[in-house]
Amino acid sequence: MIVFEHVGKRYGGRFDALANLDFRVHRGEMVFLTGHSGAGKSSLLRLIMRLERPSRGRILVAGHDIGRLHASQVPFYRRQIGVVFQDHQLLFDRSIYHNVALPLEIRGMDPREASRRVRAALDKVGLLHRERALPIELSGGEQQRVGIARAVVNKPSLLLADEPTGNLDPQLSADIMALFEDFNRIGTTVMIASHDLALIARLRHRTLRLREGRLVADEEAA
Amino acid sequence: MSRRPAAPPRGARTQRTRSSSQLRAWLRHHRAMSADSARRLLRHPIASLLTMLAIAIALVLPAALWLALDSARLLDAELDASATLTAYLESAVDAGEAGRIDEAIAAQPGVAATRLITAAEGMAEFQQALGLDDALARLEDNPLPASIVITPDEPSPEAVRSLAGELEAMAGIDEVRLDLAWLERLRQLAELGQRVALALAVLFGLGVLLVVGNTIRLAVESRRQEIEVVMLIGATHAFVRRPFLYSGAWYGLGGGLLAWGLLALGNQWLAAPVRALAASYGANFSMPHLGLIGSATLLICSILLGWLGAWIAVSRHLSEVRPR
Ligand SMILES: Nc1ncnc2c1ncn2[C@@H]1O[C@H](COP(=O)(O)OP(=O)(O)OP(=O)(O)O)[C@@H](O)[C@H]1O
Ligand SMILES: [Mg+2]
Repeated sequence: MIVFEHVGKRYGGRFDALANLDFRVHRGEMVFLTGHSGAGKSSLLRLIMRLERPSRGRILVAGHDIGRLHASQVPFYRRQIGVVFQDHQLLFDRSIYHNVALPLEIRGMDPREASRRVRAALDKVGLLHRERALPIELSGGEQQRVGIARAVVNKPSLLLADEPTGNLDPQLSADIMALFEDFNRIGTTVMIASHDLALIARLRHRTLRLREGRLVADEEAA
Repeated sequence: MSRRPAAPPRGARTQRTRSSSQLRAWLRHHRAMSADSARRLLRHPIASLLTMLAIAIALVLPAALWLALDSARLLDAELDASATLTAYLESAVDAGEAGRIDEAIAAQPGVAATRLITAAEGMAEFQQALGLDDALARLEDNPLPASIVITPDEPSPEAVRSLAGELEAMAGIDEVRLDLAWLERLRQLAELGQRVALALAVLFGLGVLLVVGNTIRLAVESRRQEIEVVMLIGATHAFVRRPFLYSGAWYGLGGGLLAWGLLALGNQWLAAPVRALAASYGANFSMPHLGLIGSATLLICSILLGWLGAWIAVSRHLSEVRPR
């Protein structure tokens, strides 16, 4: 599903945020991405979303070299990836419902079908009763869950999550991870960046470990 | 993960329902965005009105000038049609000879019609025009010569001038008068006016672009976060642009309607004095109107200008906005 071939990312001409990354993630896998703060986890995910382009090497997603996507194709490529952002990226001037509906609106989905999907996604993250609320009225953890609902509302085949449990208590973190495992079980490829090592250890999935932009360990689930 | 994932072969029918549902989605978004951008404009009525007023003022000037030139052109055509020469006969020429000269002129090529005005008729006309019966009646002799008014075939200045030369050479004709100089001056003035109007239209059109562009730029700025987020989750540029293009078009429409209203108002205001002025020259002149086609042109131009201004502003911005 995801292939990195000698990928490097250099910011500002000097600083290597990522260097010589070589790995592949298979369809239907669930992978954790760990490393200290500044190790390059977010940068790696941004490369997959094609928010950045690699300075060297190439990245294939579902068999396509995404570096060769034309700018006009990028939006359509992005629609097939669900992303949970480290900083939520919610729109604060519209309700939870409309935040989650946004990806479907962009696709031009019929409003009735969209409404069914939005409710299902909100139900899954346990926020159906807050659909009319504004993001500002929710706690950090609840906002995070809205972000998750928005990422999965279109049933993407690839789900990327950047610190999805950053603001959550241990119980809720475990619940959210269980949610990702549910998605993974129905065939979604899942990649989660996190430094909650205790939680990762308990979940027993393949783990990629970054240190200063290099892949220092690739541990299969025990 | 390609743009169009390899799909199992589909029947033509499902293909058609799919593209028709895409069309419906597209129309739905257009409807939603036109309503949404109108609502946003209405949320700040004063600011929106000011923008529209600025557009209207920029449109009124070239439109008014254009109208004025249009009426000048009508006047010009009328003058052309009435362009005549007057040949004054020598005072020694008697009535019988005058008739023969009149016939000779009428037979000339390039002459459409002639009218002989005898000395007595000339005096009568003169008296009537000036209302000076008494003063002139006291004159012993009629000082006016007989004259022939000639309507040429072709009212162009060159043709009229060469015709005048030929007539002047004829025996019995003292002088040929033609009032071409001021006509030509008027024509040159109209041409100048046309160029000024065109330059003004271009200049003020640019002004409209700037006004709309600046307003839309601020709107884009205030919705920057929203733009970044929708681009993160796969919105196309067209999707992002759409609400702003509708805002620009609404501004244009509002500005165009205001300009139309201002023109109508100005027309009302100037109509009475202009009519009085025209009447004092004995002309039957009515104020120019935009009419259906003129009004439609004004509105379409203003909407297009608004749309274009928005397009430029958003496109410039889209290249800067990079989702974080
Ligand atoms: N746009 C950028 N320009 C310059 N440097 C950048 C840019 N983005 C990231 N970096 C640098 O790249 C390195 C990796 O950043 P990244 O955000 O990928 O780390 P991270 O592993 O996600 O950290 P965290 O756990 O704190 O989120 C950092 O040192 C950061 O300063
Ligand atoms: Mg990060």
